[in-house]
Amino acid sequence: MTAPNPAPAIEITGLTKDFALNLRGIKLRAVENLTLNVPQGEVFGLLGPNGSGKSTTIKIILGLLDPTVGECKVFGVPSGRVDSRLNVGYLPEAPYFYRYLSGEELVRFYGRICGVPKKVLKDRVREVIDWVGLTGASHRRVGTYSKGMLQRIGLAQALVHDPRLIILDEPTAGVDPVGSAEISELILKLKKQGKTVLITSHLLAQIEDICDRVAILDKGKLIVEGAVNDLVGLRDRQSLIVDSLPPAELDELRGWLAARGHVLNAVEQPRTRLDQLFLSKVSRPKKEGDSK
Amino acid sequence: MNTAFPFPLSGRSVPFSLGRLGIVAGNTFLEAVRQKLFNFLLLLAVALVASAQLFREFNFGSSELKFISDFGFGAMVFFGSTLTIAATAQLFFSEIENRTALTILAKPIWRTEFIFGKFLGVFAVVGVFCALTTMLMLALLYHRETSLMTANPDAFESGRIIHYGDLVLMGVLQWLKFGVLAAITLLIASFSNTNLYTVVMGFFVLVICHLQYLARDAYGSVASLPLRLLVQLLGYVFPNFQVFNLADQIGIGEGIDAAVFLRVAGYALIYIAVIGGLAVYSFRNREI
Repeated sequence: MTAPNPAPAIEITGLTKDFALNLRGIKLRAVENLTLNVPQGEVFGLLGPNGSGKSTTIKIILGLLDPTVGECKVFGVPSGRVDSRLNVGYLPEAPYFYRYLSGEELVRFYGRICGVPKKVLKDRVREVIDWVGLTGASHRRVGTYSKGMLQRIGLAQALVHDPRLIILDEPTAGVDPVGSAEISELILKLKKQGKTVLITSHLLAQIEDICDRVAILDKGKLIVEGAVNDLVGLRDRQSLIVDSLPPAELDELRGWLAARGHVLNAVEQPRTRLDQLFLSKVSRPKKEGDSK
Repeated sequence: MNTAFPFPLSGRSVPFSLGRLGIVAGNTFLEAVRQKLFNFLLLLAVALVASAQLFREFNFGSSELKFISDFGFGAMVFFGSTLTIAATAQLFFSEIENRTALTILAKPIWRTEFIFGKFLGVFAVVGVFCALTTMLMLALLYHRETSLMTANPDAFESGRIIHYGDLVLMGVLQWLKFGVLAAITLLIASFSNTNLYTVVMGFFVLVICHLQYLARDAYGSVASLPLRLLVQLLGYVFPNFQVFNLADQIGIGEGIDAAVFLRVAGYALIYIAVIGGLAVYSFRNREI
């Protein structure tokens, strides 16, 4: 095995991307002076409203677009070079694959494109298909797959060459909460394997659950970047969850706190999250290919 | 899933690969043959070529055989051109519009491999089309010639008059011509935004390539110098498709000169290489 590359998985420096809107030279600035580092082994969330520059940034990382200014490197290799993509797996938003191929044929096709040796290709294809839970549906044509299955076969093709960086563009778009939870589980498994994952999603609760760090873009500019815990945690506050207190004891507690110079800011009833409630009530489809 | 997967991809350079090019070509071919358009055009062409049999009551002798041959190649040219332009545009834009191009080009693959893979896929499809229609036409001609030899032996005193080998060469030349047309359509598609624009421009260029010799003949000697140079330039930019039309020289009659065949084949291959190169250059600058 080769020694791990110390370079960040993604290193973006002063990146600006303009798109020409017409022949008169009017341009749209999609990304402006973006500097971003994604260390190896992290799950990194790239967030922002529609049109904030997330997809453009991803396309530059994948070498599908050239930056107007600045540079982008993947494991130390400029992203415009073909070899920068040797260690990258990509699942596009709302993926649409060749409908006439079966799931297994599709993953084999991408494996061959990536140069996976013939002697291991067959086993590798079966392995990743099993890993995403589509073994039972691997001989069905992709045209018959549900959205959740398309996302999973998309994940399989992204992983077939065992990349170290996996880029997931809206992997849960249009997927039901069960499928979305399964994709989250797969991402966490990837993290355990030491993979770097870059994910964009509008499901912020999901991002909060699975990401180590996030960056928020708005109108092409980096607004916020940091560890999730640092960004969403309120360091000067604490929650104490106790059994329900009668009003008299609550007043007593409030007085006890006041005597020590503290204020009881809120008394709330803890709630479960709606997605957790949904997942606890809805039965999950069997792993070997859900029904359409 | 195994974390230590036994193939080291990192640190490798990625040279141009005919293998990857072949994978893209194979997938393009598979996609094309599963499209209804290909099957529909193939059936129409086969039906038209086969319908030449209906003219047997003419009983013209060798003229009838020539008619069947011309009719068959006419059907091949018409449907083959339509198939080439439509299939090239469709197979290219299906990748762009369905965003499958994103997933492929996000892999370690050169855009050159992608474009030439697309070209070879279409070229193979058109090759199958030409082979099938040529074989059908040969079978019809053989059958009809045999009938005529029995009915009218005096006209065939020196044996069969059809040069079947030359007809195969004619089929090969049509295939090469469709290859040039596919490369032109791919070049248009590489910078075009829509399938429709590509198809319309493809047919427009097809007409120019078929008729440009008329402009050269008309203006080549009489026009002013700038116009003459312009016509000459257009003659180099747009391939002259009339050079592939050797129907009068081959098939029935004197037969084809090997040197002419090789010259025309070389002419096609040079245009395919140059136009294909321009398509690659244009596609490399395209923002997907």
